[in-house]
Amino acid sequence: MGTSIVEAIIDGILTGGVYALMAAGLTLIFGVMDIINIAQGIFVVLGAYLSYALSVHAGIDPFLGLLITIPALFVIGLGVEWGFIRRLREGDRTAMSILVTYAVSIIIEGVLNMTFSVNYVQIHAWYVNRSVHILGFYLADIYLFGFAMAAVLLVALYALLYRTRFGASVRAALQDRTAARLVGIDVRRVSTVSFGIGVAVTAAGGMIFGATNAFNASSSYDLISRLLAIVILGGLGSMGGALLSAVFMLVLEDVVAVVWSPIWATAVFFAALVVVLSVRPAGFFGRQVARAQ
Amino acid sequence: MTSLSAEQATRPAPAGAEALLRLSGVVAGYGGGDVLKGVDFEVPPGSITCIVGPNGAGKSTLLATVSGLLRPRQGRIEFRGRDLVGTSPKGILEQGIVQVPQNHSLFREMTVRENVEMGAFLVRDRADVRRRLDEIVEQFPVIAERGKDKAGALSGGQQRLVEFARCLMLDPKIVVLDEPSMGLDPKTLRAVFATVRLMHEQGRTILLVEQNARAGLKLATHGVVLENGRVRFTGTGQEVLRHPEIGALFLGGAARSEPASPARQETTGEMNRD
Repeated sequence: MGTSIVEAIIDGILTGGVYALMAAGLTLIFGVMDIINIAQGIFVVLGAYLSYALSVHAGIDPFLGLLITIPALFVIGLGVEWGFIRRLREGDRTAMSILVTYAVSIIIEGVLNMTFSVNYVQIHAWYVNRSVHILGFYLADIYLFGFAMAAVLLVALYALLYRTRFGASVRAALQDRTAARLVGIDVRRVSTVSFGIGVAVTAAGGMIFGATNAFNASSSYDLISRLLAIVILGGLGSMGGALLSAVFMLVLEDVVAVVWSPIWATAVFFAALVVVLSVRPAGFFGRQVARAQ
Repeated sequence: MTSLSAEQATRPAPAGAEALLRLSGVVAGYGGGDVLKGVDFEVPPGSITCIVGPNGAGKSTLLATVSGLLRPRQGRIEFRGRDLVGTSPKGILEQGIVQVPQNHSLFREMTVRENVEMGAFLVRDRADVRRRLDEIVEQFPVIAERGKDKAGALSGGQQRLVEFARCLMLDPKIVVLDEPSMGLDPKTLRAVFATVRLMHEQGRTILLVEQNARAGLKLATHGVVLENGRVRFTGTGQEVLRHPEIGALFLGGAARSEPASPARQETTGEMNRD
């Protein structure tokens, strides 16, 4: 039992890293734009399908395929921002964004169902069903690779935000959009690129999701509910909060699945959200005051 | 709100050198309505021009049109003879017009030093930014003292001074201040106004909206009274301050009397009505 719990904790940390990457994209979009991107779930599934298609039809390794799918999702994100998000009025954009991105999600879901059918598929590669034996624990290669990839991409995202001029403009826009405009930042451009980046990370998350789960387009509903729970728990707009909360939630879920029952794992995931929010309404690292517009 | 008479409304702009900034027939607003309904006035070079008026007069809206945050629906905003209408906030900054907005506008999660550096966001040469920062640090000791602290941890007055420091990073020609005294205690208010005077003495033109109308006009070389989206009166700061009807309308009925110090006004609560 003890070994199982430790294994569950390790699995939770590894999958939590991948969820952290997907949630980081979601919270980045909210932080900069006040947009709640309900389509983040379907973007993950779209990323999974793209990796699947490249693997099945072109024989491209899923990790190598990220060189194609990440830029593809980035461009799709720019298109969605340009086509739908930019047109929302400033005053009620947060509320309207839920409807609009839900509509985007439904459209993409329909296209995916038509293209790939509703049958479940899974990404296969030589490392998907392999595991390594380390210190008495069996760890799946795909989880290790996925965690390493997520860690690399999160570090890259951190470097982009904290070590570049563009990152400074993102952080400024995230904290005060008017002040950012008044120091010469093109907030609209920053928002568009941030949305693109926020969506692009789902390509990587989607690939790991598709390699570790059988999925179809409807898998997006479960994903978005989890991702929203993670970013709300972490504190909307907080990258660090999203990372901590993703790992916390996934570890909790995996441990409950082992010590109690997999049936209760998902319920505990959301129960944890309710409990934490009742103590800290803004989540782990949420903004205590509304951002100046 | 009582309107001023037509004769008072048509009083000419302050005489002096060619205007640095000139607004002609500016109409602007949000949504369906117009907040500014045809604003005309000039900002002479080297002046401190203070805009006063009641709540809803359009003071902040006016500054938003000058800094490019809001595009006027009609009219012209000329800076050195060049029309700025349609220019982005970035383009306005590049012209040398920098605004410090009304609410605390520092990036709270960045350090004080990072905030000041953000003032030179448009400058790509890092050596230039460092040189400018060194000059600014000399003027604003708070940057050296609290440079590594998060900006959100500063007091209201310190934040205001850091905002001033940030706006000076581009060495602007015109500094636009939206209610710089808002929320400050009398002592801090004096320090903030002293800094405005210093910026003016350094050769910068100041355009400010001031909630504390009397203190603002006392500081100003020129005054503009805005009411219901239109300029009702312009003159020197003293002229506007001493005008009987202006005094009755905006200065708590203290027309012709010698204005009290900002500190005293703050504590006696006879400030203004806008």
